[in-house]
Amino acid sequence: MGLRSFIHRLTAPRITSGFVDSPVKLVLVINNDLKMGKGKIAAQAGHASVSATLKAGEKSPSILDSWLKSGQKKVCLKTNFDDLIDLENKAKSIGIQTIRINDAGKTQIPSGSLTVIAFGPDDEEKLEQLTGHLKLL
Amino acid sequence: MSREHDGPSMALIVRKDLKLSAGKLAVQCSHAAVNCSLIAKKTESRLMERWQSNGARKICLAINDLESLKILMGKSKSAGLITHLIKDAGHTEIPPGTITVLGIGPAPKSSIDALTSELKPY
Repeated sequence: MGLRSFIHRLTAPRITSGFVDSPVKLVLVINNDLKMGKGKIAAQAGHASVSATLKAGEKSPSILDSWLKSGQKKVCLKTNFDDLIDLENKAKSIGIQTIRINDAGKTQIPSGSLTVIAFGPDDEEKLEQLTGHLKLL
Repeated sequence: MSREHDGPSMALIVRKDLKLSAGKLAVQCSHAAVNCSLIAKKTESRLMERWQSNGARKICLAINDLESLKILMGKSKSAGLITHLIKDAGHTEIPPGTITVLGIGPAPKSSIDALTSELKPY
């Protein structure tokens, strides 16, 4: 090794520095049984994300903090109604925060329909185990 | 006019020309909604509460291109409304730094309508 690369190795910033905590993300799962337009889905996902953020701020501020600092990673997935309820129960049993959004039904779909559930923000690996089998929207 | 009708609203304005997929669109709009809410919580907590107790109304609108989006952003800022622009980190679909969504509000529905009356729902 040359002298310059030796010095570089001593003085260069470590690549791994920056993220101390494990990565955190928010997973939005859409009820694909409903035929919603793209804009409708976006608004519903927005509802879920805002509620999840505010609830996390009250219950688990440190998780929220690392999520916000690491760029608010969000993933949007889809599944059918039965599977969605199943996932909600599983998430609750392992302590992942869930937010259920029922639509007010002013447009497109009947009032009270379950449109989306937000899981997290929480540890990426934990969420991967729960929702890894689902397809991207 | 009933109170519910005049409750605060939030507009998520999306660039039509990017032709985002449904999932990408949902995620970008969520970014905007979360950031606008956090700003509102800090700076206009009463408005924020009123918005939430009125069902946290959100509407997703389409705009033709970046130029029109920037003009609208200027108008919204000069009207003193909460205004937040989302740039994509570009992990998927589109180049990093692409401006995707403009979030306006929560703000009185009449102020939002005045700015966005020409836009169509996405």
